[in-house]
Amino acid sequence: MQTLCFQGLTKAYGGVQALSDVTLSLSSGRVHALMGENGAGKSTLIKLIAGVVAADRMTVLRDGVGVPLRNAAEATRAGFRFIHQELNIVPQLSVAENVLLGHPAPRRFGAFIDWRSLEDRAASALSFLGADHIDVRQQAGSLATGDRMLTRIASALVADAGSPEPCLYVFDEPTAALTASESTKLFDVIARLKERGAGVLYVSHRMNEVLQICDDVTVLRDGRHVLTTEIAKTNREKIIAAMTGKQLSDAIPGRTTAVGKGVACRIRALATRDLTGLDLSLAEGEILGVAGLDEAGQTAFLRLILGQGRVQQGVLEVLGGPAPKSPEQAWAQGIAYVPRERRSQGLMLGMGVRPNALFPHLGDYGLLARKGAEVARTQTLAHQVRLRFQGTEQPVGQLSGGNQQKVLFARAIAKNPKLLLLEEPTRGVDVGARAEIHGLIRTLSNSGTAVILASSDLVELLGLSDRIIILQGRRQVAVLDRQAMTPADLLSRIYAAEVA
Amino acid sequence: MKSRTLSTALRQWGTFLGFLAITLFFAWRLPETFPTAQNFLNISQQISMLAVAAFTMTIVMVMNDFDLSIGSTASLAGIVAAVLFAAGQPVWVGVCAALAVGLLGGVFNGFLVAYIGILPFIATLGTLTMFSGAAFMISDGKTIFGRDIPAEFAGFARFGIPLDAIGLEGAKLPLMTLAAVIVLVVVWLLLEQTTFGRRLYAIGGNRVAAELAGINTRRLRLMAFGLTGLGAAVAGLMYASRVASANPTQGAGLMLDAIAAVFLGMTMGREGEPRVLATLVGVLILGILDNGLTQMNVDSYVREILIGAIVVSAVAISAFSQRRT
Repeated sequence: MQTLCFQGLTKAYGGVQALSDVTLSLSSGRVHALMGENGAGKSTLIKLIAGVVAADRMTVLRDGVGVPLRNAAEATRAGFRFIHQELNIVPQLSVAENVLLGHPAPRRFGAFIDWRSLEDRAASALSFLGADHIDVRQQAGSLATGDRMLTRIASALVADAGSPEPCLYVFDEPTAALTASESTKLFDVIARLKERGAGVLYVSHRMNEVLQICDDVTVLRDGRHVLTTEIAKTNREKIIAAMTGKQLSDAIPGRTTAVGKGVACRIRALATRDLTGLDLSLAEGEILGVAGLDEAGQTAFLRLILGQGRVQQGVLEVLGGPAPKSPEQAWAQGIAYVPRERRSQGLMLGMGVRPNALFPHLGDYGLLARKGAEVARTQTLAHQVRLRFQGTEQPVGQLSGGNQQKVLFARAIAKNPKLLLLEEPTRGVDVGARAEIHGLIRTLSNSGTAVILASSDLVELLGLSDRIIILQGRRQVAVLDRQAMTPADLLSRIYAAEVA
Repeated sequence: MKSRTLSTALRQWGTFLGFLAITLFFAWRLPETFPTAQNFLNISQQISMLAVAAFTMTIVMVMNDFDLSIGSTASLAGIVAAVLFAAGQPVWVGVCAALAVGLLGGVFNGFLVAYIGILPFIATLGTLTMFSGAAFMISDGKTIFGRDIPAEFAGFARFGIPLDAIGLEGAKLPLMTLAAVIVLVVVWLLLEQTTFGRRLYAIGGNRVAAELAGINTRRLRLMAFGLTGLGAAVAGLMYASRVASANPTQGAGLMLDAIAAVFLGMTMGREGEPRVLATLVGVLILGILDNGLTQMNVDSYVREILIGAIVVSAVAISAFSQRRT
């Protein structure tokens, strides 16, 4: 039996420690689960062992012997293969070409591609996976999602002459896009890889799968290693406890005023193209948490209220009137939004703090831009959100993540919004800025702003929310009172939804 | 941090320094004919059409879009005016119709790009061909000239404001130059001093973010393309006035030079963003090169190679230094 040991994995992005001194030991012929909440460091760990991101510190030992791992090519040479959740196939090429992608194609006369031999090699790789039903000549784009996954795995299986057999397969959320029967097929494949003597690192949020197919589990939290054990010696509750770990921090300020009487948002039996079964009311000053696994419909829900998306059935009333039809109308009605990805969806990184904070509010200045008034207002807002910056014209791309997030908050609170939509408001933000942002949200709520807060940070959700809606598969499965819930309760509700 | 500021400054001012170097070079090699008030006035008239097209092209390029159809729009506008003149319509009717055609053509581009969602490259490549075809159809493929073109219209390009008052005896500021200056001022006010312009820069900075921040990106893109089309029509009319004729291909050269001028200007932006005053420098570089090299009797093919090489190297240097900072 072979042992692969990754020692002392450490990586910081800017000032944020993504991974500190994590050690992971993988044995051949065993499936090892890697678990943790969002932001626990799972993806960073995978990027380090794939050689895609340079580690601050990392030692790789195979049975005690050092293995060089400085880039992706060396990872491949070491026999590591990666199957990501995004299915990186080239839809225009044939299945056979996709399977052999990145491998030297077999040649005829040294120049022309030997199509027959290429197709044979692809077919034999697929047949090892029990996927003989896939025609290697068809365009990969016409494949169903499960078959695309099999194509990707087959590609990872192909070994080039002269290089060692793959010894480690890393699956990153492989079932996220698969149906139940496709997942079952995938588990068969993993079993075969295991029999062949390969090690498997299996990253997933789905507790049931992990309990079903894995032999060992390692849990990360906040970039640190918290637990490694055999699956047989643990259970669902213990793993969840290890994932959440921290107690509700009293740093998150509690509610000091009562929830208002007026209704900010009324939703009855609502269905859109992306969402179904939404049914709830939101009062003025109330904070509604939105919880769910990745891509469970959080973004679609918030964007619907922002005026993107169309109601197909049911009722959606916002601030006592019909729902806005565009983000422009939404902002004009007093709805403000802090998007999930601040860099790609929130900020104009090359532009200054002033324009970034004021873009939705330029209309206040009439036709002509009034720089003096804008500068003054930006300074007031910056003070309110405790922004640390070098002047209103400093490009926001130069600010830290936490301060960039505060610019988005400055934008959102500039006109005292009646309804504030927040997505992952403290993701990738340092502890100090996080506390300041939480204080800001509480202040707004106390002054009567209704808040919808989608977050994968359970402590944040429980600390701020009055009620929490749980989404699963783009459907509302429950609206829970926050009282007396612990992170472990909430997490098991999120996972329980999956079982139900 | 300090070296970064320095290299950014060098990058930003590099193009401007290049412009000064070119000007000094010609002043040194052509001391008799180049650095004279009359020659500079000539240059200003020679570049006035390109300037108008490039200034208004800047409006769409601020949003990271561009418009390949402006050359065809310019030709079509000239043809529409000339056909109406030939039919005995008064000058103002022809001019207004030509401007309306440019505006509508631009709005059509904007509609395709913003509302249908076609990439600007493909949408305006398509309309380039359409507008060009329309110009041929309306004119029967012939050049309209001579008595069909009213003297008042052609006269616009010949007249100027006497500059005797400021000590330039006999020199005149061409009306064409004046027109370009007016367009420059209008576009500068629009982009730099109005809410409209600020929103266009927001779209250029991050279109998704702009949309989510409540900016009506579709309507603004439509309007911006409309203005670019209108500018192209103005340039086309100026061209027709200057040569006192209209033919369906006469605007064809405008588009590449206008885009080149904006790109040259973009090398001067802090973040590589287009600014209309920087576009002016780009236009001046192209105009002075053309004027100086012609005076030095450099073969026109060599001239093209040189101008292309200068545009490519300016943008390459800018891209390179931006990557390093």
